[in-house]
Amino acid sequence: MQEYVLLMVGAALVNNVILARFLGLCSFMGVTTRVDTAMGMGLATTFVITLSSMLNWAAQEYLLEPFGLDYLRTVVFILVIAGAVQFTEMTVRKVSPPLFQMLGIYLPLITTNCAVLGVALLLIEGKLTFIQSTLFAFASSVGYSLVMVIFAGLRERLALAEVPRLFAGPPIGFITASLLALAFMGFSGISTV
Amino acid sequence: MPDTIDSLDAGPPELVEGIARVVEVAGAVAWLEPEQTTSCGGCAASGACGAKGLGTVANRIAARRFPLVDHPGLRVGERVVVGVRGDALVKAALTAYAVPLVTLFLGGGLAQWGWGQDATTIAGSVGGLFFGLVLARLGAGRLFASGASAPRFLRRVGQAPQTCQII
Repeated sequence: MQEYVLLMVGAALVNNVILARFLGLCSFMGVTTRVDTAMGMGLATTFVITLSSMLNWAAQEYLLEPFGLDYLRTVVFILVIAGAVQFTEMTVRKVSPPLFQMLGIYLPLITTNCAVLGVALLLIEGKLTFIQSTLFAFASSVGYSLVMVIFAGLRERLALAEVPRLFAGPPIGFITASLLALAFMGFSGISTV
Repeated sequence: MPDTIDSLDAGPPELVEGIARVVEVAGAVAWLEPEQTTSCGGCAASGACGAKGLGTVANRIAARRFPLVDHPGLRVGERVVVGVRGDALVKAALTAYAVPLVTLFLGGGLAQWGWGQDATTIAGSVGGLFFGLVLARLGAGRLFASGASAPRFLRRVGQAPQTCQII
């Protein structure tokens, strides 16, 4: 049990997808103008990263490795991720059309988020079991969502603050992001996973 | 009984805004298609970037068409700003994504605890996922029964907002 907890803490806080591995930076800057949308985006990404990582683990274990097709890993993973996103969209649409319409208006696409592919590749490199892979992917995406929401909250406050004209907009956003990354460095050493 | 969040709010609830285009007007009902955004928010290289094209095909924007009842004389082709309450958006995302994820973990965890093999854990996770989707359907029905979560017309694109919004 302790092994699983350390794995999750390491994935979410110590080796945070955004602040330590520098994945998903486009959505980190692009969809963090409001806490509500950042939270919605974080939930959608958490679902897709967890689901696609499970599918990618199965593809690696039962298809690529037994048949010696490891050199096709990136291509296969991209296809699996696209399929997982499409499955998610179709399912939400079937399950509840009003929900699909509402999320479709306000939550952007996650098909091309590099964090989704990055996490899938990382867990294969780590040679994890299925349950470890699932927990690692889930914790990584929770870490992603956490940073998105924190940064969105900071940007909401920055929007109301008096910022020198030279730093207004993206520059003060990047400075804030770097300070947030420094704060997350405080988690270093908790877990080495 | 009033919602806890509502009772703590000092002012009117903040709305999350989105842009949509009018594609059809049938009497009092206007049909709108959302303008698709990307998770990167777009950038100077958007002309050469494949993100928008891929997403447009994959998500079939036409399937996202939604009705707007009692519109203020909208015409086909107009771009309008629609809004929904921020907490309603979070509730919808929780219903659609968090509920199936929780049941997926419950199913996978129980299978792992019972059998301890990867194949049964996968089967348990898939079972949990589909059970969660059924729960999400029930939850979504309750969420939308009141109609408070439906997008509403705010203004035409180009008009100044009437309230102070963080953008």
